[in-house]
Amino acid sequence: MRIEELLSQFGSQYVRALLTTWELTALSAAIAFLLGTAVTVMRISPIRPLRRFGDFYVQIFRNIPGASLLILLVYALPYLDVVLSYRTCVLMAASLIPSAFCSEYLMAGINTIDPGQIEAARSLGMTFGQIIRRVVIPQALRSSILPMTNLLVATMLTTALASQVPLNPRELTGIVAHINTHAVGGVTAFLISAFLYCMTAVAIGQAGSWIDRKVRILR
Amino acid sequence: MSMSQTPMIEMRNVEKHFGDHHVLKGISLTVKKGEVVVIIGPSGSGKSTLCRTINRLEPIDSGEICFDGKPLPEEGRALAALRSQIGMVFQSFNLFAHKTILENVMLAPMDVLHKPQKEAREAAMELLKRVGVDSQAGKVPAQLSGGQQQRVAIARSLAMNPKAMLFDEPTSALDPEMIGEVLDVMTELAKEGMTMVIVTHEMNFARRVADRVVFMDEGRILEDGTPEEFFAHPKTERARDFLNSIKDH
Repeated sequence: MRIEELLSQFGSQYVRALLTTWELTALSAAIAFLLGTAVTVMRISPIRPLRRFGDFYVQIFRNIPGASLLILLVYALPYLDVVLSYRTCVLMAASLIPSAFCSEYLMAGINTIDPGQIEAARSLGMTFGQIIRRVVIPQALRSSILPMTNLLVATMLTTALASQVPLNPRELTGIVAHINTHAVGGVTAFLISAFLYCMTAVAIGQAGSWIDRKVRILR
Repeated sequence: MSMSQTPMIEMRNVEKHFGDHHVLKGISLTVKKGEVVVIIGPSGSGKSTLCRTINRLEPIDSGEICFDGKPLPEEGRALAALRSQIGMVFQSFNLFAHKTILENVMLAPMDVLHKPQKEAREAAMELLKRVGVDSQAGKVPAQLSGGQQQRVAIARSLAMNPKAMLFDEPTSALDPEMIGEVLDVMTELAKEGMTMVIVTHEMNFARRVADRVVFMDEGRILEDGTPEEFFAHPKTERARDFLNSIKDH
């Protein structure tokens, strides 16, 4: 099947799939960011069990393959009487793993902050929470824009896991499998999805560089 | 006034170790309200550590430290509240790198004292004017010279209306031509009656501004007297050696 035919027959489904991929990416990334930030705060807190838990969390989710995590969520959780929708399972897999990386990038950003600034904040009477919110996280974020940009792309690619479960509407990888069972799309069907992934990644990369230039901290 | 009889800072038999290293040995020191105490001594004598124990940036092993009549609380909200009453100026300025000069001075008054933004801004501009860096208010710290950054750091501390100020080698990281501008601000503060504990190597400043000079060596306070006494007639051999060693250059 030629590309014109594919597009005329499945064009609107591709658009829908692209929007679905964007939606899954945005949701997963938002959850990953919130979880990653929370875990990072645990990892730098003065409370040892919290630090331990945070490190453990990161080790687990940084080192588990996405497909394995998805299989566990879909097939193992029901044994514990937890039955989640396919969509929830995909969102969890695509946010838990990136959340571990998000925390690692934030930790790297935190390490760029001169400890003297923390001492200054303490000496001004700021509490742990205030120091985290006003001094640590803003600086860690500004110096981790570029890795976070990569993480957003990686999160998008992780949402392709959704192709492994029956999800409606389908996202960019799922649509390819769908087309190839209904028509002979061949490798062209893949290439269209790949192109859309690619364009999205380029846009994310551009936006990331722009933000990085805007907020970079002068040292 | 009976209040003025309570010392601002009182340290009794303070002991502190870093691992095997015994940094503070039986330190007892009283600083009255409005007094300017300069701590001098060779490097490694424990003077910076002493300064940092006063707002408990360094916890102590044993002994007691009272600020304005109250013992320092354990780490937590009460300690944060107490720290907000003690200004501290560091050797390396430690301004918040991601915030403008003005925001640096406004942050703690808004977050800790819950001042409205407008009020905090006006007070901050006033202080920046006082230390002579108001024209730099919109810049970030990296765009300022060391001397300017240190003056901003002093303004940032003053914005909390502290009862006392600690200076931990405030001019040691500065180029020589910038030391004067920082010392001038500190001299003004001293004249206005601020209670100050200053760790420094600036002997002329100590002579001019200090009410008392404390000489430390190897974790102990060896001398504690007026600058006239100390510089003219040091009582201990260690102090004489120290003064001779810095006189050479």
